[in-house]
This record gives sequence, C-alpha cells and structure tokens, in this order.
Amino acid sequence: MAEKPKVVIVRARGVASGSKPAAARLQAMIIKGLCLLCSQNEPKEAVARIFSPSDRVGIKINTIAGSRLSTPPELALALTSVLNLGGIPERNMIIWDRTNRELKEAGYPLQTSRDKLKIFGTDSAGAGYEQELYSFRNIGSLFSTILTNFVTASISLAVLKNHGLAGITAGMKNYFGAIHNPNKYHDNHCDPFVAELCLCPPVKSRHRLTILDALLVQFHKGPSFHPSWAARYEGLIFGLDPVATDTVGWKIIEKLRAEKGLPSLKEEGRPPAYLETARSLGLGENDPERIQIIEEEV
Amino acid sequence: MKRRDFLKATGCLGLSLGCRELLASSLPPLDLIQPNLSRVEARHYEKLPDREIKCTLCPRYCHLGDKERGYCGVRENDGGTYYTLVYGKVCAVHVDPIEKKPFFHFLPGTQAFSLATAGCNVNCRFCQNWQISQVRPEQVEAYDLPPDEVALAARRNKCASIAYTYTEPVVFFEYMIDSSLASRKLGLKNVVVTGGHINLEPLEELIKAVDAIKVDLKSFSEVFYKEYVRGELKPVLEAIKLIHQRKMWLEIVYLVIPTLNDQESMIRQLCRWLIKEIGPDVPLHFSRFHPMYLLKNLPPTPVSTLEKLHSIARDEGLRYVYIGNVPGHRAESTYCPFCGQLIIERVGYQVGRVELKNGRCRFCNAPIPGIWS
Repeated sequence: MAEKPKVVIVRARGVASGSKPAAARLQAMIIKGLCLLCSQNEPKEAVARIFSPSDRVGIKINTIAGSRLSTPPELALALTSVLNLGGIPERNMIIWDRTNRELKEAGYPLQTSRDKLKIFGTDSAGAGYEQELYSFRNIGSLFSTILTNFVTASISLAVLKNHGLAGITAGMKNYFGAIHNPNKYHDNHCDPFVAELCLCPPVKSRHRLTILDALLVQFHKGPSFHPSWAARYEGLIFGLDPVATDTVGWKIIEKLRAEKGLPSLKEEGRPPAYLETARSLGLGENDPERIQIIEEEV
Repeated sequence: MKRRDFLKATGCLGLSLGCRELLASSLPPLDLIQPNLSRVEARHYEKLPDREIKCTLCPRYCHLGDKERGYCGVRENDGGTYYTLVYGKVCAVHVDPIEKKPFFHFLPGTQAFSLATAGCNVNCRFCQNWQISQVRPEQVEAYDLPPDEVALAARRNKCASIAYTYTEPVVFFEYMIDSSLASRKLGLKNVVVTGGHINLEPLEELIKAVDAIKVDLKSFSEVFYKEYVRGELKPVLEAIKLIHQRKMWLEIVYLVIPTLNDQESMIRQLCRWLIKEIGPDVPLHFSRFHPMYLLKNLPPTPVSTLEKLHSIARDEGLRYVYIGNVPGHRAESTYCPFCGQLIIERVGYQVGRVELKNGRCRFCNAPIPGIWS
C-alpha cells in the first residue's frame, strides 16, 4: 500500500500579531516544517531531499491583494535564507509573480542583480511570456518565461484564501499567475482548469514543494483583504503533494468558517472541485483520511 | 513609435509581448514595461456589498471580488468600482475595405477606419486574432486614441465609417459608444463586428449609437458554443433578433469549420430560423476556416463544403448568401434575387461593377436591402 502523503502544519503563536511577522520566527517555522516534511533533523538535509545544489529555484508568491493579504516579504525572504542554508546559492533563486506593480505594492524590493537573489515579475523587460501557445487538454496559454527559462525547481508559496468561484485559492491555483490568461479559467468553479494547469509539463515537471501561508487566512470573501473574515491562524503548511496540501488548507478554511457560523463551501455550492479532478489526474491525494497530517508549534 | 506613425501604419497587428532574453544565462536590467491602462468607470454593472460587483454587460454576469477582473480580462473591480482598462487604448488600427469586415450591403467600395483594444468575452478555440483578443491589456502595446481623435483620424484617412472589430468590441463598450457618438458629429458612420455575446440592455444603447452590426454566429448548437466558444448560443440569437427588431442593418457571418459546425442539417435549421425571425434579406456569409490558435488539427474548409452550404441556404430561401475567404469565387458577388443579374461585383476585397441605382437593381428595379449611401 502506498505511503500516505505527508502534510505538516507549523504554527507559532503571536508570529502575525505585529504589523510585520518576525523574520527569525518565520525562519524557525520553515526549518521545522521542512525537517518534519522530509524526516530530517537539519535544514540542510531537508532542503537537499527536495532540491539539488544546481537547481534554480523559483518561489511563486501571490501578490494580487496588495500589502495586507499577499505573501509577506519577510516570509519569502526567510524561505530563501533556509534554502541558502541548504546549499542553494542566492543567485539561483527568484521570488516572482505576474507583475512588478503587484510585487511592489506587496512590499517587495525589485532586484535583478545577476549574483544575488532576484525579485521581479513576468512583465519585466527581458522576461515576458513564451511566444508559442502551450495547448494541453483545456489549457491554451502562454507561460511565463521566468518559469520556463529560469526555474528548474518551483515552490508555490501561496496565500491560503477563500475564493468565490474555486472555493479556495491555495498552492495549485497560485500557478494561474504563471500564465497570460488566467481570466479564461474561472468557468465551472475553475474546474478542470486548476488541475489541468498543474498537470501541464511546464508546471508539473518543476513543482517540488507547496508552502501555504496561513499566517492570516481569509476564510470568507477575498481575494482582497476583508478584516471581518480574516483569522490570525499563524501557521504555515508544508507538503510535497500539491493536492494533499491544498486539501488540508481547505479543511482549515472550513473549520474557520464553521467557528464563525458560516455555511460550508459545499453548502454555498462551491466546494473546491478541482481537488477531486486533480486526484483523478494522478496529481495527488484529496482524501483527508489518506493524508498524514503532522501538527507542530514553535 | 509615435502615435502619428502608428496611425499611419496599416500593415500589421499591434502585438508586442516584450523582448525575449533568456533568463537562464544572463538576466536583463530591470527595465519595467509600463502598462498603458485606462481607469474609466465601466457602464452596466451592479455594486454589491463587501466591495463586490456584478458585471451586466454580457451574459457571463461576472461576479467579482475586489481586485478581480472579468472573463474578458479588460474590466477590473477596484474597491467596489468597476473600471474599463482599455478606454481609448487601441492595440490595432488599420484602414480596411468595408468588404473585409465583411459588410457587403453597406457602403460598398468604401474604407472603414478599423480599430480594436485587447480582450474578448469568449475564448473561441479557432480565434483568428488571439494574439490581441485572448490577452490582457498589459500584454499588448497600446496607444492612446481618444474618441474625438478616432473621428478625426478616420476623416483624415478618407474613411466613410469606423469599424469596431478584430477583437470583441463588446468588451470596450464605453470607448465604442463614445467614439461612435463623436464620429457621428463629423458625418461618419459606425459599424460593429461582434460575436453578439452581449446583454439586451447594453445592446439597446449600442444600437442607438451605431449604423450596422455584423454578428459572427459561430454555430447553431449550444454544445458547440460550450465546447469551442466558451459561451452560449441563446443570448447571441436574442441579440440578433433585437438588432433586427430595431431596424439596424445586420449581416451574419458563419465560419465553417470542417466536421465541427458544417452539418447540413444544422445549416438548414439555422437558415429556417433566420428566415422566420429575421427574414430572407439578411446577408449570410459562409466563411472559410483556416487552422489557427487552439484548432490546428483540422484542414482549411474545402471549397466544395462552402458551396454545398451556400446551395442549402439559397434553397431554404435566403436571398443574399456569400462565400468568404475564397478570393475570386463567384459567390463573393451580389446577384439580384429577382432577375439574377450581377449587381455588385467583388474579387477579394475589391469592388468592381456596381449596378445599383438608388438602392435598386439597375436591370429590374427590384429593391436591394442595405445601406448604400
């Protein structure tokens, strides 16, 4: 019988209570999460289980919602420092999203120095989208050249949020930001588009790790910040199985909704159907009973 | 390129997706592309609680949270107000023969000042202009051309009309309406080339501002619309009926795609519906498909298929049936349905003899429907 995919939840009380999360505590959370995920004692070994030193690692963040509900720069930078501990040179890492405007609004300093960590969007001159359409099942898109030309190993560092159509937006839907036409994939609750995009070779061949930013979870409304329905969950969720990781994220959103007396996503007619499609396509596990969940506090 | 140079240029679509340097070996300097977006409040939407909106422009009724864009990719909710990002931001502009739209019963032999912004509210797998229609406005180079300047540029280029075309004009509704009203003041006419995926209320507004509408009817099957268009047939048929009821000049184009929408029985149904709802005088153009975009696994439409469908439509009683994208074909020309004489000769987009006098056949004096002057 196949081993259950592992998903690690690391929480740190008070980490998100200030105006900005504390970098040192975030780093400790990431180290704990990766070590538990990879069953290693040291971050270096954990990173080495996922990446090789020659990898060029892309950290796809989510900055659509401005400074109050995007992947915080402190988190993305803490992740790069942990990867660096694991032997990935800074010059071989890029933090990226669709546009420089959104990156800047979320507080990221844009950087393109050849020998340092890079932070920029697909709309930078010299980047852009591929010129050839990628046609695959229901997907017909141009992929970001950041993903296709630079990145050899991808991390989806996504904000965990409610989504009015898909049910939730998490690690898998984050790759909508890697194509030129995500607006075309919101029909039918984004299904089968989310799953099929993640099955596309440009994504599937590179995706190695999902980390869900659940420091502040928008469990209702979104994708912009609505404080009435945002909870300080103060957690990060780690998984090598993208479907299992999103499934755990979904259950956290459902729990937060239930605590506030909100109907479940199923009752609202928008359970994240893409997860079952993803399972059927062999992308991972969506049955919570078949997922090994490890919870830890730091 | 300055705007003046751009307006002079008529030869290529204004597509630019940025330069391509490999990131792997050498990173470029950070030279940001500044997107040229408008921020004009959109018409036809409803404000909802919690900074959400519902777009009522087209049958999709996109329900959007703050910061989200509609399916068209060119209309964005920002803080509970809906904005068009492409007002006056043209990505393609050409001076074309009106026959290229095609309009065959509308000022034949004249030029149309033709323009588009980025965006479309459907996603046809056979789109012929996907490089500008299936992209976001940031992904194409756009130039500022406010409505007043559209009219002036059209007049300067000796055009009889403005054509809103190439992409889907419904998505740049506000710009199209304002440009039409501005150009009317200069005596110019306005024509729209659309998929007809628009709600009836905005369509009423559009009809008041323009002079002719050509609808690209993609099929007569809901299944086809769902699978290959990502839209719906029913609202398109409703739009066609309203355009006719309001006595707006209407022509229909049907792109014939081998094996997908070329069934003879379906074409008969379509023709019967047109005759019943619109009448026998609506021009119907059967246009030849060429492999494109996401539908490259099919051959171009055999001319024999187009001729067969042309014959069916004539048999069913439609009087003005044409074959398009087959330059030099006999069915590009107009024949009087009463005496059979050639009354408008066409080869490709060129118009030859015109045997009309005051909108009537010069040979038998039968009225020929259209806008001729």
